[in-house]
Amino acid sequence: MNIGLEHYLAVSMLLFCLGLLGVIARRNLLIIYMSLELMLNAANLALVACSRFTHNLDGQVFVFFIITVAAAEVAVGLALIVALYRKRQTAHVEDLTLLKL
Amino acid sequence: MNTLLLSHELLVLALGLGLLLVDLWLPLPAKRKLGYVAALGTGLILLYSLVCVRVPPEGAAGYAFSQMYVLDGLALFFKRFFLLAALLVLLLSVEFADRITSGLSEYYALVLFALAGMLFAASANNFTLLFAALELITITFYILTSFQRHRVASLEAGVKYLVIGALSTAFMVFGIALVYGLSHTLSFDGLARAAGALGGNRVFLFGLVLILAGLGFKIAVVPFQIWVPDVYQGAPVPTTAFLAIGSKAAGFVLLLRVLFLAVPDITAHWPHLLMLLSGASILYGNLCAIPQRNLKRLLGYSGIAHAGYLLLGVAALSAAGRAAVLYYLSGYLFTVLAAFTVICVALRQVDGEDLGALAGLHRRSPLLAATMTLAMASFAGIPPLAGFFGKFLLLKAVLEQAPACAAYYYLTFLALAGIVISLYYYFNVVRVIYWSANATDLSPIPISGPIRLAIYACIAGMLYLGLFPGGILNLATEAVKALP
Repeated sequence: MNIGLEHYLAVSMLLFCLGLLGVIARRNLLIIYMSLELMLNAANLALVACSRFTHNLDGQVFVFFIITVAAAEVAVGLALIVALYRKRQTAHVEDLTLLKL
Repeated sequence: MNTLLLSHELLVLALGLGLLLVDLWLPLPAKRKLGYVAALGTGLILLYSLVCVRVPPEGAAGYAFSQMYVLDGLALFFKRFFLLAALLVLLLSVEFADRITSGLSEYYALVLFALAGMLFAASANNFTLLFAALELITITFYILTSFQRHRVASLEAGVKYLVIGALSTAFMVFGIALVYGLSHTLSFDGLARAAGALGGNRVFLFGLVLILAGLGFKIAVVPFQIWVPDVYQGAPVPTTAFLAIGSKAAGFVLLLRVLFLAVPDITAHWPHLLMLLSGASILYGNLCAIPQRNLKRLLGYSGIAHAGYLLLGVAALSAAGRAAVLYYLSGYLFTVLAAFTVICVALRQVDGEDLGALAGLHRRSPLLAATMTLAMASFAGIPPLAGFFGKFLLLKAVLEQAPACAAYYYLTFLALAGIVISLYYYFNVVRVIYWSANATDLSPIPISGPIRLAIYACIAGMLYLGLFPGGILNLATEAVKALP
């Protein structure tokens, strides 16, 4: 079988939906955060595949930006989650109920 | 490449890094004063921008990084706007400094880095720079939001902002991937050429909608508003103020560029979508603000409503509408910063920004009471303040388009209904200040010199924009000529 652009895009779409499902359905902050990274990587896969099949390098350059930004986001995000865990001894979203109407 | 094009960003970054360096040698008590240095530096950069940088004439914009970065009238207008906002926010941060337990210099530096992100956002001409600038703003704001690590509310707000912010980033990046995959270009100019042929492609339109979702998160428009009340309430006051004005304005300049520079052909078919978002935001923000007792939360919901008003100008799809958006944002800057400055100073002793704590403010500090009253009146759109003329221009732009499409009439009616609803909760704040009988603490409130200056600047701005709208309106009209 010849693997074409649409196969890559299908996998990327699948990864994106899996990530979104994780964000919606899971209740642990760390797992939600992992799912968010999965969504970013789905976009990376789509960008690299499009770039490869259209012989245009812009997409691959953009992926480097996304990877860098995602690393910064993880550094800040994990620090935040750890700081919250130290205060509340919990990483579950149901316990984040201090701020509401 | 002409480095002078990037002078604003480079100067702000140098100032931020310089602050971090100087911090190493400063004794602890002197660190608070560093905020004044940051504010002074920002003021000087603003002065440099006003005096030395000429507005590029139409059609002669400067480009850098192979057209990724553009310096045109619109970019320059927003750069000055962001510099002014950051200047006032930095003064507010110094006032707030005693409530930040550690890392004070980093707080000032992060405000400057967020400012640099906004300056880059004002000049984005390519999805790569759009993404990098937006993330520089958003990630910096994750830290700024949760800066009071000893308060659980601040951390909780930070985590909520983080999760929803990262989700919106993921949506936007995937949208950009889809758009890129079909049009083979990331630049706005290239997309404008390619978009005409792709107008009927569902995947392309889906990608654009995902990008709009990412931008909608920044400007806090329904249905991407869910984070606003919690984050506004939990974040430190200067962060909330900067989030309310800087982050929203950055979202709007990018929205204007994407809609009218990158995909003008498709935007022309989307007035109904924009109208829907605008009407829903106005209704949701105003209705949800009514029962709020927390001042920051109230301003959060009112911020959603104001995002709706601003979208009126975008939905009008005319140059007059876009100029009205810029004018309204200018008035909003002074109004929001006046309100948050009062909250920061008047509620210093109170934990949680309950509305009742403002009781008796007119006896404790007539200046603060008058400022808050003016800010609320400007929010509500009472003449002769900035908010009135801004709303007038937005509605005028919408009504000019109405003969072509009846939906604009409904939208105008909805906006007017929203304004009437908003009178109730804005004047409730004024009522508490002047006529509440439950004032417990009547000690006078000391106001420091720089804060007094910031308050006078905000009042002057609100009155000037309301009484003499011509000057700024001309600037705004010139600035939006950068958009076809």
